[in-house]
Amino acid sequence: MSSPPSSSLSRRAALAGALGSSAAWAFGDASKFVPAVAKHQGTWDTRLSGLTRLAWELQRATSVEVRLEPKPLALDSPELFTHPFLSLSTETELPPLSATEVEGLRRYVTFGGFLFVDAASGALDSPADRSLRRELARVLPQQPLKELPKTHVIYKSFFLLEGAYGRVLAQPGFEACVLNRRAAVVYSANDVLGALARDELGGFLYECTPQGEHQRKLAVRTALNVAMYALCLDYKDDAVHAPQILNRRR
Amino acid sequence: MDGTTAVKVVSLSPLPAWALAVLLLAVALGVGLASWGVRRERSAGRRWLLWTLRLLAGVLAVGFLLEPGQRKVNVARVKNRVAVLVDRSASMRFPVSKGGPSRADAVTQALQEQAPRMAALGERFGFELLGFDPELAPLSLESAASRPPDGQRTDLLGALNALKAQEVGSARKLSGVLVLSDGADTTGSLGTLDAAELKEALAGLGVAVSTAVVGQGGLEDVAVEGVKVDDFAFVRNSLTVEVAIRAQGFAGQVLPITLKREGQVIATKQVVVSQADQRSTVSFTFSPDQTGRFVYLVSAPVIPGEAITENNQKAFTLKVIRDRVRVLLVAGRPTWDERFLRGLLKQDPNVELISFYILRSNADEILAAESELSLIPFPRQEIFDTKIDTFDLIVIMNFGHAESGVSLADFRAQFDRYVKNGGALAYVGGDMSFSEARGRTPFDQLLPLEPAGPAVLADFHAKPTADGLRHPLVQVGGFGESTEALWAALPAVPGMNLTRAKPGATVLLENPDVPVGSAGAPLLAVWEVGRGRVLALGTDASWYWAFPSHAQGAPTRAYERMWGNAIRWLVRDPELTSLSVSAEAPQVDPGKPIAAVIQARTPDYQPAPNADVVVELQRADTGEVVGTQTVRAGADGVARVEFPAPGAGAYKLKAQSSRDGQPLGEAFDALAVRSLGPELSQAGTDAELLQAIAAATGGKFFTLDSLSVDELPLKEPPLVEVGRAKDEPLWDRWYWLLLLVVVAGAEWAVRRRFGYV
Repeated sequence: MSSPPSSSLSRRAALAGALGSSAAWAFGDASKFVPAVAKHQGTWDTRLSGLTRLAWELQRATSVEVRLEPKPLALDSPELFTHPFLSLSTETELPPLSATEVEGLRRYVTFGGFLFVDAASGALDSPADRSLRRELARVLPQQPLKELPKTHVIYKSFFLLEGAYGRVLAQPGFEACVLNRRAAVVYSANDVLGALARDELGGFLYECTPQGEHQRKLAVRTALNVAMYALCLDYKDDAVHAPQILNRRR
Repeated sequence: MDGTTAVKVVSLSPLPAWALAVLLLAVALGVGLASWGVRRERSAGRRWLLWTLRLLAGVLAVGFLLEPGQRKVNVARVKNRVAVLVDRSASMRFPVSKGGPSRADAVTQALQEQAPRMAALGERFGFELLGFDPELAPLSLESAASRPPDGQRTDLLGALNALKAQEVGSARKLSGVLVLSDGADTTGSLGTLDAAELKEALAGLGVAVSTAVVGQGGLEDVAVEGVKVDDFAFVRNSLTVEVAIRAQGFAGQVLPITLKREGQVIATKQVVVSQADQRSTVSFTFSPDQTGRFVYLVSAPVIPGEAITENNQKAFTLKVIRDRVRVLLVAGRPTWDERFLRGLLKQDPNVELISFYILRSNADEILAAESELSLIPFPRQEIFDTKIDTFDLIVIMNFGHAESGVSLADFRAQFDRYVKNGGALAYVGGDMSFSEARGRTPFDQLLPLEPAGPAVLADFHAKPTADGLRHPLVQVGGFGESTEALWAALPAVPGMNLTRAKPGATVLLENPDVPVGSAGAPLLAVWEVGRGRVLALGTDASWYWAFPSHAQGAPTRAYERMWGNAIRWLVRDPELTSLSVSAEAPQVDPGKPIAAVIQARTPDYQPAPNADVVVELQRADTGEVVGTQTVRAGADGVARVEFPAPGAGAYKLKAQSSRDGQPLGEAFDALAVRSLGPELSQAGTDAELLQAIAAATGGKFFTLDSLSVDELPLKEPPLVEVGRAKDEPLWDRWYWLLLLVVVAGAEWAVRRRFGYV
């Protein structure tokens, strides 16, 4: 769910009207989707424009209210707990997290936070990939990363996808640390946010390989599905959706 | 007991049995070997002569060894018992036929008529008169005639089993049983058995049970004979009540059978009477829409001329419970508020969650084909028109109605009816709710809060009101924890819809920083609409009491408890009440008092010692108070009250409690006082049952007119020895010895003559 019938109302006009009027009435950022990003000692800020683009795409395609600007947060900051979506990314090796950062991140995901880990190096067994896995093993030693099956709800949380797409296709799908049947940490080595990242002039920063722009489109959908999973959990696994989804996947 | 002499032949040999056996074997061997020795004799005549003589000699030798004699014994036949069981239940007061004598009098008369026949059988059988009511006890014709039957149950199997128990150790054995009854067994223990089961159930007696039905039928009566229904039902689940109707003497009439719940008609069905004595089953299928115990009444019309009018209705109680709470969660858009509530509800094994979120609005632009999306149309019509009554609770989260494609404005009437009929509604605020809804919502008239201005955007700490501190919904602490302190320690809420409470609403949480009238702006309020309950929460940030509350490292379950309490309160979970009252017996026999137990608790669900409790007994259909009891609870918060026996009908118990002047709440229960005991609830006879009993045991079935004790299948009493036996030897006669000498000598002579040595 859920799609209303098409309306004669101009989308732009409706969006502008909605944004214009809601600005005076909304309750701030409390219930909005805010693309928070984890600050660490490595290259944490190379995909900020990708996060902005994710929020923009989310606002454009869905009914979710967003804040476009990424919110950098230290991993041991209490403010983490007002932002249930957090992105953790690095292009290079992630320096070991401090004990308080590990504890803060553990508490964050255990009590309900969602962590999207994106290896911006775009390669398995790269320093970024190895170091991210190493630190996740410190955060959740009892819940190691495991490959998510293609039937997992994250592949149908908004778009119907066959895999996880990014700037590269280093691996076919997501891996995740699962807590109480909830994928609390979702990991990709495909540099998903890299496919969305833009420069100040609006051009894409990185080329998508090997499928080019088609792959970028799928990467945008992948990022949207990750955000929608964080917001709706297993909503699309409800029985009411099953017949139509099954029919469309045929 | 007259004696006769019986004679029998016995062995008088003093030898022990084993010695006799050895000797007999030796004789047989001798005869055999001797016969074997002449097997080659060519002449068959000679051979047969020798064999005959040797066999005869052997027989005579055996005779001398056994020493036969005759024993003369004086024997007599024991007089056995025949038990005559007379039904002494109250239904035996009914006439045998319209205008005739009572069944009990007819039995007395029949037994008097049978007295000469019983006397004629007196040499072999002693007839014992026993009454069962249902206890088995000796009875005389005089007492039967002078004391009307008054047993409140008829238990045929119980009476026969009691008779069997008496048989153990009794000197006089039972030869047969005769049961005189109308067959109206109120236990139902035999009526449901097939022939084989009935035979097995009655096998222990070992004698034939003959039966005589008392009553000829012909009485005019309509009776609700029985109601078949489970003790409990699940709310909003289909339930079938089967009602057994018996109509005697009203062929050609149509009887409307009505099922009511506490005065309210649920359904009426017609029974077409086509036979003089007709049994029918009427089924009522309905879905109870509230949990709790309710009293139902099935009734048939009273027709002039009926033998009994009190059995035209039957009340029963039904406990309606919940299987799982079926929650419909409808969210105007994906938010963190929706996400944390979903996570909570999905983890609760007592909740069945059905959810619909508006993931896309008309303003949203997706560069993808529908087939590439997982979106489905919002099935509003199906949910809110067809299936709305299947939900225990509907949660509306920040849902906008500006778009016609998703608006629920067309379902105002359905929401009204749903809540007034007992449904629960939780309305959660946000930037599309209350004042921010930009127009009326279909819930406006149902909500306890109404818009009071634009949203408040400043952070604030939610504070329980005085009413809230007494209300179970905001009790988020564990044992011994201060509710106020816990709420004060929770994270600040980042904004709220500005509302004011409607008259009659109970505000539980408020924003103390923003006054509305004389109090803080209401944040959380509840009230009841019809039989339903409604909650309104003026923020979409209740999740701040969940995830952000963990920021400081002190885990809290306030969010889970608040929503858990809210759901249980909304759906009227019996456990979430500060006061409970329960009748000790939901079905009470006429003439019996009504007792009820009350449990009073404080708002934090601890026992409320010394609470003052007032309990009213009300008629369920009119609300008329027929009795009031005032008691004080003990140290455990428990009190017990008892009302004198009221008349038949459906009743409700209403309990109210207070302690130190503070009300603790009120509670209800329901019970039924039977119009008649089961014994008098049916005037008909059950000849089929009596016939089946007779057939199963080899007995004979009679009507009272055809009864003849001569024809009872009775087991003959056995003969027993009386006095001393006298033995007379038969073997010590001279001629037996002479015969033996002659035979042995002849055999020797013949053998010599034929050339054998």
